[in-house]
Amino acid sequence: MPSPSTPGGRTFSDALRSRSDEDLVALLLRRPDLGRPSPSTLRSLAARASSRTSIDRALVRLDVLEVQVLEAVVVLGEGSASPTGAPLDPTALLAALTEEAGDEPDADLVLAALDRLVEQALVWDAAARPGGPAVDLRPSPGLAEALGPYPAGLGPRGRRVPADLGRELADAPPGAREILAALTWGPPVGVAPTADPRGVTATRWLTERSLLLGSDERHVVLPREVALALRGGRTHARVDARPPRPEAPQRPEATVAAESADAAREIVRHVSHVVAAWRLDPPSVLRSGGLSVRDLRRLARELGTHDEAAVLAAELAFAAGLVADDGDDPPSYAVTVAATDWAEQTLSARWAVLTAAWGASPRTPWLVGTRDEKGARRSPLEQDMHRPWVVRLRRAVLDALAAQPGAALDEDAVLEVLHWHTPRAAPPAQAVRGLLREAEALGVTGVGALAPQGVELCRVLAGSPEPADGTEPTTAPVPIERAAGPGGGGGATAALAAALEGVLPPEVDDLLLQGDLTGIIPGRPSGDLERLVDAVAEVESRGAATTVRFTPDSVVRALDQGRGAEDLLTDLAAHSRTPLPQPLEYLVRDTARRHGRLRVGAAMSYVRAEDPVLLTGLVEDLSLRHLTLVRIAPTVLVAHAPAADLQDALRAHGLVSAVEGPDGRVLRTEDQHPPARPAPRRGGFRGRQVEVTSPRAAAERLVAQLRATGRTDDAQRTGPGPTTDGGDGPRRGGTDVGQGPWGGPERARVREGSGTTDPADALSLLREAIDAGTMVWLEVVGPQGSPARRRVRPVTLEAGRLRAQDLVRDAELTVAVHRIASVTLDLPDDPDDGSSA
Amino acid sequence: MNDGPLIVQSDKSLLLEVDHPRAGEARRAIAPFAELERAPEHVHTYRLTPLGLWNARAAGHDAEQVVAVLLEYSRYSVPHALLVDVAETMSRYGRLTLSQHPTHGLVLEATDRAVLAEVLKSKRTAGLVGERVDDLTVLVHPSERGHLKQVLVKLGWPAEDLAGYVDGEKHAIELTTTVPPRVPDGADPSDAPGKPWEMRPYQAQAVEGFWHGGSGVVVLPCGAGKTIVGAGAMAKSGTTTLILVTNTVSARQWRDELVRRTSLTEDEIGEYSGARKEIRPVTIATYQVLTTKRKGVYTHLELLDARDWGLVVYDEVHLLPAPIFRMTADLQARRRLGLTATLVREDGREDEVFSLIGPKRYDAPWKDIEAQGYIAPADCVEVRLTLPESDRMTYATAEPEDKYRLAASATGKNRVVEQIVAQHPDDQVLVIGQYIDQLEELAAHLDAPLITGATTVRERQRLFEEFRSGEINRLVVSKVANFSIDLPEASVAIQVSGSFGSRQEEAQRLGRIMRPKADGRTAHFYAVVARDTVDQDFAAHRQRFLAEQGYAYRIVDAEDLGISDTAQ
Repeated sequence: MPSPSTPGGRTFSDALRSRSDEDLVALLLRRPDLGRPSPSTLRSLAARASSRTSIDRALVRLDVLEVQVLEAVVVLGEGSASPTGAPLDPTALLAALTEEAGDEPDADLVLAALDRLVEQALVWDAAARPGGPAVDLRPSPGLAEALGPYPAGLGPRGRRVPADLGRELADAPPGAREILAALTWGPPVGVAPTADPRGVTATRWLTERSLLLGSDERHVVLPREVALALRGGRTHARVDARPPRPEAPQRPEATVAAESADAAREIVRHVSHVVAAWRLDPPSVLRSGGLSVRDLRRLARELGTHDEAAVLAAELAFAAGLVADDGDDPPSYAVTVAATDWAEQTLSARWAVLTAAWGASPRTPWLVGTRDEKGARRSPLEQDMHRPWVVRLRRAVLDALAAQPGAALDEDAVLEVLHWHTPRAAPPAQAVRGLLREAEALGVTGVGALAPQGVELCRVLAGSPEPADGTEPTTAPVPIERAAGPGGGGGATAALAAALEGVLPPEVDDLLLQGDLTGIIPGRPSGDLERLVDAVAEVESRGAATTVRFTPDSVVRALDQGRGAEDLLTDLAAHSRTPLPQPLEYLVRDTARRHGRLRVGAAMSYVRAEDPVLLTGLVEDLSLRHLTLVRIAPTVLVAHAPAADLQDALRAHGLVSAVEGPDGRVLRTEDQHPPARPAPRRGGFRGRQVEVTSPRAAAERLVAQLRATGRTDDAQRTGPGPTTDGGDGPRRGGTDVGQGPWGGPERARVREGSGTTDPADALSLLREAIDAGTMVWLEVVGPQGSPARRRVRPVTLEAGRLRAQDLVRDAELTVAVHRIASVTLDLPDDPDDGSSA
Repeated sequence: MNDGPLIVQSDKSLLLEVDHPRAGEARRAIAPFAELERAPEHVHTYRLTPLGLWNARAAGHDAEQVVAVLLEYSRYSVPHALLVDVAETMSRYGRLTLSQHPTHGLVLEATDRAVLAEVLKSKRTAGLVGERVDDLTVLVHPSERGHLKQVLVKLGWPAEDLAGYVDGEKHAIELTTTVPPRVPDGADPSDAPGKPWEMRPYQAQAVEGFWHGGSGVVVLPCGAGKTIVGAGAMAKSGTTTLILVTNTVSARQWRDELVRRTSLTEDEIGEYSGARKEIRPVTIATYQVLTTKRKGVYTHLELLDARDWGLVVYDEVHLLPAPIFRMTADLQARRRLGLTATLVREDGREDEVFSLIGPKRYDAPWKDIEAQGYIAPADCVEVRLTLPESDRMTYATAEPEDKYRLAASATGKNRVVEQIVAQHPDDQVLVIGQYIDQLEELAAHLDAPLITGATTVRERQRLFEEFRSGEINRLVVSKVANFSIDLPEASVAIQVSGSFGSRQEEAQRLGRIMRPKADGRTAHFYAVVARDTVDQDFAAHRQRFLAEQGYAYRIVDAEDLGISDTAQ
């Protein structure tokens, strides 16, 4: 029952227009979807703000307290339902929500929540006229609808406001009070008793006095006014002003630091391995995208870990831009140039890059192995696993952990906290679990509690822009944080690295070498030492200390890398406090002795001749030096040039050579071996160069533009407006708004001052008209495609249909929204139109 | 970070830095619950295993103590998951107990219903238990006491056996204080008749630990006097005793030692072997005779019930054959003592030892006992021999299954052995090998007697006796000498071939020379290995055990043998 409390009072869009620039900027920052794409006028901004999609999106981000306040405003803010019938002001709101007047802290929180709601234009103040009430809080148009049928567990409006319920119930039949009590705090709908005669009588008694309404044959509903009276004028039994603090085990600081440091070292090792292994042998990209199960298993095996950890390692390498689809045919995951820089950095710097990338990554690796809608298994690195909301959820999860330092919140506890923060958008438990596990694996948490470097990550994330909303599908990985530019972008990673440095155990440069061919590094190895043992020994156990074993194979590996036996022994001795054990020395020397008894080399072509002298001539000929001819036997030379080049060079030299095949038969020269794979490189891995404009700057620019058009717009309006400045602008058929910083250009046509053909504006006008009970001119396209104009009073706008009263024809009509061509406010030039009963 | 000597790894290994000032303290603190895995010179590795933790529980330690010890000595923060796991594992022991109910007899009792429900639900316990007495108690068929314990360990809920033991037939046994004069053997001056002796402190502790625990295993290095621990346990028990040993030679050595160390006379000790079938208050039987089957039936099982044994002693538990385990399952009402140098079983049946013989009751690392001077220090040398061209060609083209034999019995080894023997003219030298023809050749080369499986017991004993008395100082033996032969003055052992990579065999062979020498000389252990062959690989595997036990070994080339050894 829309009731214009202030005849001709200002509308929602008036209120929006009367906001200061600063408030508008705040609104756009809080509800970024309003600015994307840039609205043409403030009116269309208002229209968008009262559209169902935008309201839903705003509601989703409200916390429990904000929802409670909003419900109270919806219930009480329309005047008629409030016990006093007076416009709603903050004092009345507080009375309806908080326990006692003395409940100061809660009151402050409630008022702060109210401010935020006003800032987001979910609640607005209709009182702006001189002589009217000081404050008249109202829900924005369309909000009540979006909140659902029973805000705060209250039923629909009843037929009357019970004056003195206590006295009225004094002579109620038995059972009546119980029925009311059951429905008081909601849900307000109950099944009408049919069998129990006492219940039937009581229900009938209540219904007769309109204390209960029949909602259908079998159900009864408690009217809002009665419920409020029963609740003593309060809208909520309890106001949840603060997020819950679930019980969780408290972890000692040292344990958290140590465990998170271990995890951090481990994840860097894993990703380093991915980079090193894929540099040698890039795995191919599946046709459907992603990494094959076989490659994943191989990675897990090499890392000595389970699939989940391998997935995370691959995903992190990908998110940090260390590996990427090389776009070749067939494509494979190749190591990028950025990875080379990364690999040379210190442990904590490498970790910081990974963690920053994780913090910004919209990927959902925990979905790997599950099936998508088509029943296909999801693979790691697959495009399909981008979910823009993950970034926001990750922040929320980390914030929940940060709110209780040292506490190891488990999945349920985090969900409980998140539920308070966004009661209307339950985060998927699977994602929360996945994120918690990732945080643990990454060393952001230790034994479940946020580590110091995790706190730093929260700080870094809090300073980064809110991620894009779910509307635009993001296809590329989110730019890594280094995008901010060399040096400058290092700030966040440097801070992260420094935080990690604080928890890492001190480096140890000692290696205890023992006679059983094992070695122990009693702490975190220095970079040098780690490289040495990685080269020459097998690691048997990692953790606080590293134990390694020297085997013939491991020594061979080091020799393969070009190290000599003496060189290795010197290096080992340099790190050992005690003399090298004899068996180790023997092992290295003995292996070196056996190493290289068979020699293998690469050559691209060879020259063979019966006459050694002829070959000697070739080797010594300076003009053939570019072929790098090497004599490996008296009658054989090998060359580092393709056979065809060799052939040409020899011919040019006046020597007639013939090319032979593997079986020694003379062939024609053809079929060059394809050149070695060029180092994969793709643009953009050093971080996408995106134009980084702060959201605030963008919002400010937009508001300025809106103001500019707004002045013209207002000038065109014939009705009274809160802003009266701006001269007479020429009437224009349309206003083009240039490309806004928030998206592409939007072309909107504003016809007549108070009418519109823009669909969103039209809906907003209709909503305002419904709220104010004013008349509009509706241009409706008929079934034959011919437009018809009708003057109607809109009643409801629901489910894509407008219900309106045509007072002239005394008929009610329902029109599908898509058939409304334009809406024009029938401005209250003549007072009868605006105020109808 | 405190400056402790211990580093606790998340893979449940504990690294103990031996040179740390608090290392000794830490070692004593962790010994009850951690198994020593290897003990090389700088850092000893211990491991936490469920069996080890349960052993600790059985010895009366609880998880809090274990956690406190780890936190106390750990240099870095102890992995949280490991602490949780320790507490979880240890809490599993003792939730189930086997006990004697005054009216129902043997029952399995649980402290918590869910655990009992879980184990009873398992198919493996079906048939081992009877009716439920109440929510927390179920009847156990007395004959299934052992099987049930085995199954429960496998299910991860080891039962504490508090059902007690039968008293057994009384038979007074006392330890002597001096070696009785009637013993003919006088090879070892410390064992000379009339010479006073007493149990070494660790032996007494081992007996005490065992007796207190009821049943269980005592782990002592070879040469540390396990027989005396057995004798001590028998004296404590004062009952008829059944002793199970690996072979006849070993049985006779047990008999001699018992006569020397206890009030028992030769008439009270029976031998139950292939040769003799005597059942006396103390009966020594071989595993072999017990596991002999005729027409699919074990013919000598009656021995187990021949008397009301109050104590059953298992020598060399790590070699206990599977059928003995099965028989032992039926002996759960009798007190059981297991003796061994290592709990490592190449077949991985450590859990059966735990459930059927009992938890580990005493353990001392070799090096500790060596440091106390009770076993001889040993110098281990691997001699690498480069095969001549012709042998290498034969080896390179041989079938894989022949390769080890070819390499191990390379003729070049004979010369090396001769050289080593020549370097130890005054020592008692044992040459040990796997292949009879190789040994025969060596015996001929060295002009030394040879003992193989074909040598009669009488002949073996005669040769051992002569070797002991010093009449002969060279002896070539096949693997028959692996176990339990007692050669007090062998101070040099040369191994020319072994059974592939058996670590346990290597330890036993080293054990041959570890008895303390009268003059405190260092023992020498040589392994002669053919370079660049599988022989070398197997040798590496075998030596791992010794190196892990802290016996540093050197590797020398056969060509350098003379030089490097004189340099010693």
